[in-house]
Amino acid sequence: MLADELFLIGWDTTASGKPRMHLQGIELGLAGALIAELVIAGCVAVRGSTLGVRDGTPAAEEATSRILAEMRGLPQHSDVRTWLVYLARRAVAEVGGRMVLAGLLTREEPKFFKRQQSRFHATDSGAAAWPRTRLHMALTRWQPLTPDDMALVAFVEACGMTAVVVQDPAERRAARRHLTAVLAALPQPIADLARHVEAATGDAVLTYRT
Amino acid sequence: MTVPLTGRRPDPVASALAADRLGAPSVVYFVLSAAAPLTVVAGVLTTAYAVTGITGLPIGFVAVGAVLALFSVGYVAMARHMANAGAFYTYVSRGLGRPAGVGAAWVALVAYNALQVGLYGAFGAAAVPLAERWLGISPPWWALSLVTWALVAMLGMARVDVNGRLLAVLLTAEVAVILLFDVAGLLNPAPGNLAAEAFSPAALVAPGVGAMIIISTLGFVGFESAVVFSEESKDPRRTVPIATYSSVAIIAGLYALSALAMTVATGDIVATARRDQAETIFALATAHLGGVVVDIARVLFVTSVFAAMISFHNTTARYFFALGRERVLPSVFGRTAARSGAPRAGSLAQSALGLLVIVVYAVFGLDPLVHLFFYVGAFGGFGVLVLVFATSLAVIVFFFREPSGESVLRRVVAPVPAALALGVMVVMGVTNFGVLLGVEPGNVLAWLLPLVYVTAAVLGVAWALVLRARQPSVYALVGMGAKAATAREGT
Repeated sequence: MLADELFLIGWDTTASGKPRMHLQGIELGLAGALIAELVIAGCVAVRGSTLGVRDGTPAAEEATSRILAEMRGLPQHSDVRTWLVYLARRAVAEVGGRMVLAGLLTREEPKFFKRQQSRFHATDSGAAAWPRTRLHMALTRWQPLTPDDMALVAFVEACGMTAVVVQDPAERRAARRHLTAVLAALPQPIADLARHVEAATGDAVLTYRT
Repeated sequence: MTVPLTGRRPDPVASALAADRLGAPSVVYFVLSAAAPLTVVAGVLTTAYAVTGITGLPIGFVAVGAVLALFSVGYVAMARHMANAGAFYTYVSRGLGRPAGVGAAWVALVAYNALQVGLYGAFGAAAVPLAERWLGISPPWWALSLVTWALVAMLGMARVDVNGRLLAVLLTAEVAVILLFDVAGLLNPAPGNLAAEAFSPAALVAPGVGAMIIISTLGFVGFESAVVFSEESKDPRRTVPIATYSSVAIIAGLYALSALAMTVATGDIVATARRDQAETIFALATAHLGGVVVDIARVLFVTSVFAAMISFHNTTARYFFALGRERVLPSVFGRTAARSGAPRAGSLAQSALGLLVIVVYAVFGLDPLVHLFFYVGAFGGFGVLVLVFATSLAVIVFFFREPSGESVLRRVVAPVPAALALGVMVVMGVTNFGVLLGVEPGNVLAWLLPLVYVTAAVLGVAWALVLRARQPSVYALVGMGAKAATAREGT
């Protein structure tokens, strides 16, 4: 699933178990990916800054159905940004939690300080490394991307994670050119969502405080 | 089909998002800690007395505070209608057009960089006596400044803001020390003091008043930043205005009182400040309060300067970042360091400039307090004054075109006189720039420094016109800040 793969890119699940990137960016990216899963499943419609719930279609699994139920119950909130910021607060717990349930990850609770972030370790390190490797190859070798990977790469870029995928600065320039072409071909709702993730991540930088 | 989005129920989203929003007191603390009161009182005030020889500073703070309060009425009202409320150039873009906006952005980059870099001089001057007393070594000022420079550069990239609670404690201690010094000064008047002169309105028409205005404005820098927290405040319509007015009032009161207390305590503050320089207030206080309090104050002065350095470093880096997000600057400025989320390129650029300036000052053997802290800081303060003036015009034009449901008071009654007063202040500032620097009339610096801003503004306008011709999609998003992403087509 989209958010799972984003999690595997943003989180070093094969070694340290800690995030590869600053948490604020990961959280907003995951929130966007969770909403995108609902969009792809046909449960939610996104247009510009507005989000609306479609009738009928149930969500595929527990985390997204919980979110869908909340969206149904709170129709007064139709702003994409509001949902992103709201869901970002628990996005790591939602996505990490469902991956633990699915047996993809194990969670290591912080030993000394309760407020520290949990560590997540992959049960299958080959599978855990695959999304990052796959995107890296696709971007640096100018390979065509599947629709799922196009969405994935859109959220990777939107939350500032591209440097995590393409770590060598020498490769980054060419990769960015390919990325621009890929992003231009995104379907409209995913593109709109990714833009809001990018804006929210940017505003988080501008208003950062401790 | 989509479900129509209406209806009201108990709202977990709204309450969850409201939970970590800021109230007015927190915003005031953020604003004042960036303003670093002890840096201004111990550094700016004493150096200003020494360099300019002007004795009317107390009334200057009151007058400038009044004008800025008037300006804030329209400013905070317009902030509610802005996508990127934190930066003056976005107001100028909306009110006076995008070319003027980019011009203002360039001016702001120069001004905020100057404000940050100047602090390295203050730090050197403040830390050398401490090193002498406690470590028994007397390193050159630039060595200490370079150490802090490296720290600021590192913390900037690691996106470490000084912790909010720590800042609050430091700020409270600073204000307490300032008030203590003020009381001690006022209770121990020197014979023949000039207190009456200090608050005489005649000082506002005396020669060199423009210099006094710039120094006062420099003291207020930071008051504009409450609006950054518009989206994060409990009630933007109340929190941000209350925080802005309170900050202006507190700054005006505190600095006017301190400037007055120095005058009262010394009798001739100008001569004392010329003799004692950065030591002025500490030397004064030693007599009345004893060594321990003064030592605490010295340490607080250093921490205050350091906190201000980090604050201005981050402000500048974020300015670069917002412009990078808009693609007005190359998009590399709009990216963050993956690990920390710091605005990488902006932070590096700011640090590079700081290093360059410290090295140049060290090589030419210039004075850290007067030539770096005061000259460069006052130069930055003048830039902020110009930005405030441009913004005051933008407020009037914006509300003329889009009344946006704001009252006549906020649209016209307050903004028009504020703009007129600010215009007069800018003109007086330019004509008195030589007095500000304490140089002879006709000195090259007196016209060269204001000219830097003219150049920056002209280059900015020209760059905006280039964008309009070559990259209209970028031009259309000037002033949107990070929200430029949502309006961009076909990324």
